[in-house]
Amino acid sequence: MLHIKCPHCGMRSQNEFSYGGDASVKRPKLNQEISDQDWDNFVYNRKSLRGKHLELWHHLSGCRQWIKVERDTSTHEIFRTMKANEDNS
Amino acid sequence: MQKYSIFNLIKNAFSNHINWDLAWKDPTPKKEYDVVIIGGGGHGLATAYYLAKEHNITNVAIIEKGWIGGGNVGRNTTIIRSNYMHDDNALFSEFGMDLWRKMSQDLNYNVMFSPRGIINLAHSDAQMNVYARRGNSMRLNGIDAVLLNREQVKEVIPMADFSDNVRFPIFGGLMQPSAGTARHDAVAWGYARQADSMGVDIIQNCEVTGFDLEGGKINGVRTSRGNIKVKKIGLCVAGSTNILAEKLNMTLPVETHLLQACVSEPVKPVLDKVVTFGAGHFYISQSDKGEMVMGGDLDGYNSYAQRGNLPTLQHVLTEGIAMMPFLSKLKMLRTWGGIMDMSMDGSPIIDKTHIEGLYLNCGWCYGGFKATPASGWTFAHTIAQDRVHKLNAGYSLNRFNTGHLLDEKGLGTKTWIS
Amino acid sequence: MTQNFRLKNIGLIDRNKKLTFKFNGKSYYGYKGDTLASALLANGIHLIGRSFKYHRPRGFFGAGVDEPYAIVQLYRNGETEPNIKATEQELFEGLEATSVNCWPSVNFDIGAINNLLKMFLPAGFYYKTFMWPKSFWYKVYEPFIRKAAGLGVASTRHDKERYEHKYEYCDLLIAGSGPSGLASAYAAAKNGARVILAEDKSRFGGTLLTSEVKIGNKSGKEWADGIISELNEMPNVVVKNRSQVFGYYDHNMLVMSEKVSDHLPKTKKFHPKQRLWYIRAKEVLISSGSIERPLVFGNNDTPGVMLSSAAKEYLKIYGVLVGRKPLIFTNNDSGYETAIEFKKNDIHSVVLDTRKDPHSEIIDEAKNLGIDIKNSYVVVAAQGYKKVKSADIAKISDDKTKLGSIENIICDCICVSGFWTPTIHLASQSGNKTKFNEDIDAFVPGISKQNEKTLGAANGVYNLDETLKSSFETGYELSKKITNNDNKVSFPNVIEKKSSTHDKFWCVPLPKGKNYKRFLDFQNDVAVSDVEIALKEGYRSIEHVKRYTTLGMATDQGKTSNLNGLQLVSSIENKIVPEVGHTTFRPPYTPVSIGVIVGREVGKHSKPTRKSPMHSWHEKNNAVFVDAGVWLRPRYYNQGNENLFEGSKREAKNVRTNVGVCDVTTLGKIDIKGPDAAELLNRIYTNAWLKLPIGKARYGVMLREDGIVMDDGTTTRISENHYHMTTTTAQAANVLSHLEYYLQLVWPELNVNVVSTTEQWAGAAIAGPKSRDLLQKLFPNSDVSNDGLPFMGYMEGDLFGIKARIFRISFSGELAYEVNVESDNGNFMWEKIIEVGQEFKIQPYGTEALSTLRIEMGHVAGSELDGRTIPYDNSLEGLLSKKKDFIGKRSLTREAFIAEDRQKVVGVVPLDKKTSIPEGSYLVKDSNAPLPNPKLGYISASCWSVEYDNPFSLAILKDGKNMIGEKLFVMSPLKNKVIPVEIVSSHYVDPKGERVRS
Repeated sequence: MLHIKCPHCGMRSQNEFSYGGDASVKRPKLNQEISDQDWDNFVYNRKSLRGKHLELWHHLSGCRQWIKVERDTSTHEIFRTMKANEDNS
Repeated sequence: MQKYSIFNLIKNAFSNHINWDLAWKDPTPKKEYDVVIIGGGGHGLATAYYLAKEHNITNVAIIEKGWIGGGNVGRNTTIIRSNYMHDDNALFSEFGMDLWRKMSQDLNYNVMFSPRGIINLAHSDAQMNVYARRGNSMRLNGIDAVLLNREQVKEVIPMADFSDNVRFPIFGGLMQPSAGTARHDAVAWGYARQADSMGVDIIQNCEVTGFDLEGGKINGVRTSRGNIKVKKIGLCVAGSTNILAEKLNMTLPVETHLLQACVSEPVKPVLDKVVTFGAGHFYISQSDKGEMVMGGDLDGYNSYAQRGNLPTLQHVLTEGIAMMPFLSKLKMLRTWGGIMDMSMDGSPIIDKTHIEGLYLNCGWCYGGFKATPASGWTFAHTIAQDRVHKLNAGYSLNRFNTGHLLDEKGLGTKTWIS
Repeated sequence: MTQNFRLKNIGLIDRNKKLTFKFNGKSYYGYKGDTLASALLANGIHLIGRSFKYHRPRGFFGAGVDEPYAIVQLYRNGETEPNIKATEQELFEGLEATSVNCWPSVNFDIGAINNLLKMFLPAGFYYKTFMWPKSFWYKVYEPFIRKAAGLGVASTRHDKERYEHKYEYCDLLIAGSGPSGLASAYAAAKNGARVILAEDKSRFGGTLLTSEVKIGNKSGKEWADGIISELNEMPNVVVKNRSQVFGYYDHNMLVMSEKVSDHLPKTKKFHPKQRLWYIRAKEVLISSGSIERPLVFGNNDTPGVMLSSAAKEYLKIYGVLVGRKPLIFTNNDSGYETAIEFKKNDIHSVVLDTRKDPHSEIIDEAKNLGIDIKNSYVVVAAQGYKKVKSADIAKISDDKTKLGSIENIICDCICVSGFWTPTIHLASQSGNKTKFNEDIDAFVPGISKQNEKTLGAANGVYNLDETLKSSFETGYELSKKITNNDNKVSFPNVIEKKSSTHDKFWCVPLPKGKNYKRFLDFQNDVAVSDVEIALKEGYRSIEHVKRYTTLGMATDQGKTSNLNGLQLVSSIENKIVPEVGHTTFRPPYTPVSIGVIVGREVGKHSKPTRKSPMHSWHEKNNAVFVDAGVWLRPRYYNQGNENLFEGSKREAKNVRTNVGVCDVTTLGKIDIKGPDAAELLNRIYTNAWLKLPIGKARYGVMLREDGIVMDDGTTTRISENHYHMTTTTAQAANVLSHLEYYLQLVWPELNVNVVSTTEQWAGAAIAGPKSRDLLQKLFPNSDVSNDGLPFMGYMEGDLFGIKARIFRISFSGELAYEVNVESDNGNFMWEKIIEVGQEFKIQPYGTEALSTLRIEMGHVAGSELDGRTIPYDNSLEGLLSKKKDFIGKRSLTREAFIAEDRQKVVGVVPLDKKTSIPEGSYLVKDSNAPLPNPKLGYISASCWSVEYDNPFSLAILKDGKNMIGEKLFVMSPLKNKVIPVEIVSSHYVDPKGERVRS
């Protein structure tokens, strides 16, 4: 069971969270003219690589905040966690 | 090639079985092939076999990073069925059922296809209607399906929970009598042996490091065992799809996830059907060895680790006991994980790509094993003829752009919710 | 039966407590502290079962978790359990056990015919045959094989036992209470760390219980007892026996199963049978010891052949002799230790040592005791069928390839020692890439992946002095790191006998002209010849070998066979062992009951049950409930002998003619507050929200980004910056997460807060032409007239002193209201509505009537909004704003979504106006068309229209907008039905929607 440090609540077990997918995917701005390709890249296409993966988790049974987690997809090691509004870089 | 038969088995017994041929050879890669299949799993091996058998293309190499059959073809719960609602999925799978029925004879390798039937349990009238929708669609597509009421289910699987102490009582179920199981390793080995005998090179311990493109066309593949010139490449790597797509600068509607399965200790025959739970996600069958083979949800986050965590298994087994309380006293013997290529509508992709000579076979989600023969057959056709067959026309890559989605569950792109 | 093989003056059993038990129907006795294995051996029973494939006789090979053979069917307190290892099962009064995998009896087993046919049944034989005729596999061969396979019998009765879970955090989890576990636990505990020490057996101490050492001035056992009693007194220490740490998962989460009651005749009241511990440890010390390796020779599976360490354990712990004429076959000094223990109890053994001229203190002691030692000798084959009667032995050449002349030696057991294999499972499970140690011919942990360290024998360190030193040190260092304390305990003086190096030889060659089976995997009957065949046929990867031969895949998971298998492959393939590779270990270390993994979430508690505050009223009034997700909702209220159809028809009819009340508490409710609340709604919903006045509600549809309808519902503007959103019951949780996602990640600039209030409000829908009259009586002080509270209006009211929210919204298509009060007042509200409603002939109605009402009105719900349909499909395209962007809008232009003949919801009426249309049927043009018959659409929902008194259905139909008036067929092959139908508008009743506004 993963142990995830919620930036708001501290270390919590995985079963308090739900997963939210790739955090590097950015929703295009509303009313923005956008190509089919770019829209499909947002809705469907994912890199989903092995290694470091920046992803979203929702602290569902906790503070209900969406957080960002940098995790290794092959070892499940978590490098760091961030609040939703913190910079990814 | 030596024929496998009871007579040859007896004959060889008198020489202590030391005169059997190699099931497949261990060649070094040639400089050039007509077709290279990347991925020595079930689908890759089947594709090579059908390229040779149906299209007479035998200058083919299968390139496998590890050992053949080591991926999902050897890590699944061996269920074979065609109980799909969408026509594209149903007709494709039913074509596969025909191939399964004659596979042992076709491959001269006993893959132990066992049409013991599958039951999807329903726990409300609403769910009965959902299954009726699926079952009627199957019947109109010429696939066998029977809707069972509670009493009929009880006759077939009396060990399920028909007591009062049950959270979601069984209302009935949808049964596909012709569905069943097969011996997963044998499928990989059987295809490998026949493909090898027809001239296909099976190259193990050979990792793809890159691709050679010329003017937007495939010209070769680079591997840890040297460069190979080839004009047609079939990509058939399931959970590694995203990694190879990256090398080709492609981003696909596929995510890589982890699915666990487990078996109990073997016991004497107690369950002769494949059964799925309707108030959750759990499926079970009993292997010939006597082990209860069980699976359910994804671990729920992108993963390449073939190791899962216990909460998922606990959750899956909770549903198992809810369905069949007697499982409580059995012991979990072995657990393992497989890496799934989860597509964004839950259905696979077998298609050409924007790169000439590159063919794509991926997105099998949980359903790869049952599709092995039909996938190999249609992918071989697509590669050999450079066009899709009508059976895999629905499995196009651009359906995500056109909206012709094949979403059996209605969950959309959140592949981790299973 | 007298215990002929029990010695009088040795052992740790409690001789004052005699226990009777039955094996295969016959009564025996043993003592408290026995295992079933030791008790059987004390009674001279060596034949326990039959092997998996050849049905060869099976006895005991080990004395613990590594046991491959001694599997029994256990009977305890009227229940039965399959596949219990006799070596692990503690004896209790009244225990009953039987042999498995044999028929009619373990002594005379028909299946043993396989043993005669074994030459025809090599590895993978089943892949090569049973293919003809085609149908025979499933019908003939497979049922036969299935019957022959399996071990014990699973009872299909429900498990009455209780299993518990416990979550625990600690500084140090120490797995195994042998010397390294005790030393590290003691050092860490004395330094203030919170320690959990787990031991899988009933007794603490591990090898200290059987070894001849001195620690300080105490024997190993005395020292261990002393440490344990001290640890037991310390508040920062949890000491657990009968507890197996079986899984090492991510982020230092370990899982342990504690057998709380398995050693008792029955589980005490309120006690669990077993308990599962989830332990999150800061540091993990793996002190799981090592398992003795078998030596491989002909018929090495004969009952009476066992590990020399097991023979010693039976002797020293249980006072049981496994034989009176032991032959000891060893490639290292461990065999001598067993011989010495026999000798001390006046049993004379012969030691065959594969080594030519070994020297050590232990060997010297054996020599001094006069033990008969034969160097450069091997056992070629065990003789005897159901029990070892003698052994064929021979001298072996220095290069270990040639056997001298065969001699036969009488013996009644053969104790083997092929040196020791560290138990590295937990380290491997943690992700530690193990490395091969050539000194001990086995894998040991490599670089730690998580916070784990492996100590003592599990780390390949077989000498006590070094083990204790490093364990004390590690316990101290790790605890210091965590607690910052610096209390170091002094290190005791250790006296032990030095041993010499082992011989790498482990597999005895076959003598000329003999074809003995030499077994590697005893339970699955995998012999050396099977591995040779697999390699010969090209199954060369160790994974191929394993799968083709089934080596290591039995219930002992290869604890005694994996390494020998690897060594065999490495010698045949001429590769070093690490190049052959090894199987990665996965949890569980040893089989764990599914019951304990699941815990208390069984039966009615397998998932939560949610009930509305009015639930007990519904129960009292004969409600028949239906599961709606985890909620229970009244489906209809049974009057007299009504069935579902009659009851729901009556309820629906009453809504259309009088007034009905329906519990709608389960609808999701979300409170939305903040200056940008309207802007949020405007982006989430497809229609316009910026100009909704205070006190008004609006219907909205929200999409997923892929353009598919996610949910629908009404949202009401309570005050300037305060909205109340409702969702469907099924999507409530998803919609809240959806809103939070956009607010927190996509549009953090919006100043809005959302919170679920589903549980805060109880809801009642009051529907029917008399609903306004009823409402007026409920709220005499409010103006609920059509002007005062128009359609989609909202007001607050006083319900007999209770604050209520009143919404004029309708799902039934009738004049209708929804009243919400705080949950605690839900039942009060409900009872008042029923009481006051009597004069208007009010009846409660359930979900079935609700369905009927919405279907004939053409209101879409879950069966149409099934996660696959877009707004157009549901005739909701009128709600798509052209002026603004919203979630999912960009996806709606996809080719398939704008196709001319796109599917659309329609109404369906049978031509005969009588035949009910089953849900899940399909619409086709030609009911006699050949299969596959093209499907034009499907029936999503069906009802009996109470308005027109005939069946009516909704369908999602291809080109639905142009199909009105068409005649088609509904087909339900599952129910053998073909029904001619006419396609009509989905708005079957009150198509202009006048009633809701009346």
